[in-house]
Amino acid sequence: MKYSILSISFALLALVSCKKSEDSGKLSVGFLLKSKGNQYFVTCEKGAQAAAKDLDIDLRVDGPINADPAKQNEIVENWITDGVDVIVASCENKDSLSTALRKAKQAGIKVVTYDADAQADARLYFANQATAQGIGEKLIDSAAELTGAEGEFAIVTGTLTSANLNEWIEVIKARQAEKYPNMKLVGIRPCDDQKDKAQQEATNLLSANPNLKAIIAVCSPGVPGSAEAVKQAGKKGSVKVVGLGLPSENRAYVKEGVTQAVILWSPEDLGYLAVQAGVALAKGELAEKDAKTFTAGKLGELQVEGDSIILGKPIAFDAKNIDDYDF
Amino acid sequence: MKRYSRELTVGGALVLLMISLAIFAPNFFDTQPMISRLASQMPALILALGVALVIITRQIDVSIGSQFGMCAVIAGTAAAAGVPMPLAMLCALVAGALMGAANGWLVAGLGLPSIVVTLATMVIWQEVLRLWQKGLLLSLPDGVQWFGMSQGTGQAMVIGSTLLILVLMAWAMKNLSSGRRIYATGSDAEAARLAGLAPKATTFWVFLLMGVLAGVGAALNLVQSPQIQPNSGEGLELKAIAAAVVGGIAITGGRGTLWGVLLGMMLLANVNPALTHFHQPPYWEKAIQGLVILLAVAADGIRIKKQKHLK
Repeated sequence: MKYSILSISFALLALVSCKKSEDSGKLSVGFLLKSKGNQYFVTCEKGAQAAAKDLDIDLRVDGPINADPAKQNEIVENWITDGVDVIVASCENKDSLSTALRKAKQAGIKVVTYDADAQADARLYFANQATAQGIGEKLIDSAAELTGAEGEFAIVTGTLTSANLNEWIEVIKARQAEKYPNMKLVGIRPCDDQKDKAQQEATNLLSANPNLKAIIAVCSPGVPGSAEAVKQAGKKGSVKVVGLGLPSENRAYVKEGVTQAVILWSPEDLGYLAVQAGVALAKGELAEKDAKTFTAGKLGELQVEGDSIILGKPIAFDAKNIDDYDF
Repeated sequence: MKRYSRELTVGGALVLLMISLAIFAPNFFDTQPMISRLASQMPALILALGVALVIITRQIDVSIGSQFGMCAVIAGTAAAAGVPMPLAMLCALVAGALMGAANGWLVAGLGLPSIVVTLATMVIWQEVLRLWQKGLLLSLPDGVQWFGMSQGTGQAMVIGSTLLILVLMAWAMKNLSSGRRIYATGSDAEAARLAGLAPKATTFWVFLLMGVLAGVGAALNLVQSPQIQPNSGEGLELKAIAAAVVGGIAITGGRGTLWGVLLGMMLLANVNPALTHFHQPPYWEKAIQGLVILLAVAADGIRIKKQKHLK
């Protein structure tokens, strides 16, 4: 019995070393998705593949089928055993994956997170899609541009207790007070992250405020919900709809001219940036801490704030470009 | 008069709310928003009617929001796959009937407590939806919204068919023996059994009917926009139960009318629109709704205490 276990272990060891010796000397990078079927992550992966091509590295993409945190841990453990050089991860569960990533870091693997961060000591950098400032400003700037920077506007939010949404709303308020004094915020209504409730809230906002010129939806179900309300009220075009959401969920309304702008960062660029950063760390081109800027291939020079590499300003999808994005 | 005191109180409160809206925010009664608002409240009303029957039999069903979501996604998936609209809607009803029958069998057949059974099925259907749809919106083909007709006709059909269901159910509860059996089961299951009224079978059929109504509600919600959200039923169980209780369905079973449920739903569902029209912050919505529910339950408590006192 003892011998058989021993021989099996040797055989396994031989297998593992075989695998290692097969490596072509290229850097190997593990790119971890939150979930494989999700269009958003499929698009992130596209960017990662583009970076892999630019950098000539060996990219392994994996992720659970259904955003399963335990499966994410398992994949990271396997990559540690395989001896990858870099792990780039989006964390479904911050705490549980951090433990696995910390282990990877101790094994000398360069760890970068993107999209959803781990605990700060479990990775070197976080490729941050956008700051609250960037998102809030882009939303109010779009609304101002569409309404000639005057008239009443309302906000449809997710829940009143959501920290990140409230932060964006504060940015919107501050920016409006400073730059667009002729605009007036007449109401903030929560849709409980439900599209149908967003539609009801927007219907009420429209009838309670007949002079409403724009609705800003800061949560993704809020955008199509508000658009449907504007459409049913026959106010297509006269009340502008802008919001933060996925192009795929808003394509029909954007093409119809009900929703004017959907704002989001580019997931493709985010995947590209995260892989670029991981490889730069492995090659020693990016300091492990205190970098001020980072040049990410075709994206050019990006700012680093603390341990976050900022992707930059979010982009606006409108009738002209929305068909270029299939997530 | 005294028998319908709850309906009168709730109706009175609703009338007061409408009068103050008419004075301070007449925009509330503009035709289009009024009709869009009403149409969007109909699916929840259908669920409230169903759960009212469940409560009258002295049971509870908290899985109805999840059932609603499942039915919506099943019908939506069928429609997206090219199944004709009437057949897709039938899928919703059948799916609802199956989920309702499962609850009914566990409660009436195995004698398990309905709160535990439906809590479990609520979580199961919720997680199935999460795994299946991953939270993404499901786009419906053209011709689903408003049954492929104009917005006005579609909305009229949604509101009309809901009211028709309400009238039929209210009539059946009063005049059909099956309706009386539901009351009898809830007021005293043992007496109902001794009278040969088969309370177990009644309970089973009420849960099954609840599932069918969840399917009807989902279908009537489906036709109101070109996309559906898999979690569209989340929180709906509380809205429906609250409307039933406020409308005078006694949580102790055996009492209440479906007309009361209509009034309860209209009162609770218009708290939030009223706040928006009075330009008040949304923080009050849930507090006010909670207060209304508490008043209704307190009134029930006082009634029961008085009855015991008389005995």
